[in-house]
Amino acid sequence: MGGSNRDGSAQTQERLQAREAEMDLIREAQAGSRSAFDALVRQYEHQVLRLALHLTGSEHDAEDIYQEAFLKAYRYLGNFRFECSFYTWIYRIVTNLCLDQLRRRKTRREDHAVIVDRAGDEIDTLAAVSDDRSFSNPARELDRKLLGEKIQAALTKLTPRERMVFELKHYQGLRLRTIGEMLSTTEETAKNTLFRATKKLRAQLAEVR
Amino acid sequence: MNCELAQERIVTAAYGELADEQVHELEQHLSGCDLCREEREQALALKVLANAHPVLEPPPNLVARARMRLGEALDTLPPKRWYERWGGRIINNFARLQAAPVAALLLLVAGAGAGCLGSYEFAQIRAAHAAAQTAAASKAQPVASIPELANVASISGIVRQPNSEIVDVSYNQLVPRRIEGSLDDPQIRQLLMLASEDSASPGIRDDSVGLLAAECRAGHSCQPAGIRDALMVALRYDKSAAVRQKALEGLEPYVAQDVRVRDAVLEALLNDSDPRIRTAAINLLEPVEADTSVRQVLYSVSNSDESPQIRNVSRQVLSRVPEIQ
Repeated sequence: MGGSNRDGSAQTQERLQAREAEMDLIREAQAGSRSAFDALVRQYEHQVLRLALHLTGSEHDAEDIYQEAFLKAYRYLGNFRFECSFYTWIYRIVTNLCLDQLRRRKTRREDHAVIVDRAGDEIDTLAAVSDDRSFSNPARELDRKLLGEKIQAALTKLTPRERMVFELKHYQGLRLRTIGEMLSTTEETAKNTLFRATKKLRAQLAEVR
Repeated sequence: MNCELAQERIVTAAYGELADEQVHELEQHLSGCDLCREEREQALALKVLANAHPVLEPPPNLVARARMRLGEALDTLPPKRWYERWGGRIINNFARLQAAPVAALLLLVAGAGAGCLGSYEFAQIRAAHAAAQTAAASKAQPVASIPELANVASISGIVRQPNSEIVDVSYNQLVPRRIEGSLDDPQIRQLLMLASEDSASPGIRDDSVGLLAAECRAGHSCQPAGIRDALMVALRYDKSAAVRQKALEGLEPYVAQDVRVRDAVLEALLNDSDPRIRTAAINLLEPVEADTSVRQVLYSVSNSDESPQIRNVSRQVLSRVPEIQ
């Protein structure tokens, strides 16, 4: 018990120190330090790309969202007043850009059912997730690939907000309260949106199983 | 608990977000309801199924490319002016104070004290002013007609001399001036560049950017640190589309030779809200349409621009130029 208390307080201490270091970095960046801003970008770029890539299915679109998000962050960094965490602030920018992207796609009815790389070739997402069993069982490999495509197709049937909430909760593992903050809404609304999204997905996928 | 509520809570619980006491309530309901137990199985099955579309780590070359492109874009942004940096610093210092309750409280007390003192002084001055007004009522003269007080921009201080009716007023006055000269005159150029950024009137910004753009198009001295910069700033930041259009026209001769101009035009193609500007930007990029960054932007625009005509034109340009390896 005593040991775990010490671990707990050591962890809290580390988190506080990391938070303080980040706040110093933000202030430096606000004062005009480009290297401080670059350091902030490094801290968040993988998460931003991971989210944008999974949501859009396109390396090109993910790169565009990355570019727009960090340019916006650079432009409006002076408005960041530390009333929320920088993590929430940057994610709010990214989720809004992703929502815009999803809305544009909805109106154009594009269906990016598979991820494309820069040359426009499909990336086999399931091959990228290594699984020894698949090499010995091609039929199973095909099933998984088809299932992956079905999931992506079902996701496109959600509204942009439903898709966003499901993405952030299921795939990115964020808490509903954080998702609410990022989408400038309440935890309760995020919860209801998640429920609607899962209901719709189940209806879409009912024929699969 | 009814089944409708239970089914909502099943989803919340499946994602580990249900409060402990509600978990207990839900378990009690599930132990007696086959339908909801089946719902829970379905909710968990969905979670497994959804993982058939896994989240991938971004490939290292995507990260590197994105980083490089961001770096290039940041390099082309004009540096923040000194008053923007200082303004930001002052506002953020206030924000930091807000996070320090004791300091905020002390500030409040100090402010209240200064306020009381100020109010006393102000009350004194008002009394003096009221007295002066009644005394001068018979020979009242509207302030505006006093020639010495034309173009007063602001009052910076009022001090009443103790125990007297004498008031000391400090004020700032705008002095309108005029200058005439040729477009080669450095003073004229400097004023035009200031007008392109700072004038509140879009008409004046339009005139100044138009004149500067004409200079650049005619090939007169349009050095980077000067007119070209002013045109790039106008293209990026001006609220009036007509001004941005003129800035774009002025930059046309430099798209091929100056990579910063090319990137400013690319930025306009990606981000300008006016489709006419975006279309003009595509046309301006003709001399550099084989450049990799231009092709990347055209590819992005051909997929994501709101305007179908712009998407079409981008695709046409892309198909016209062979891929450079």
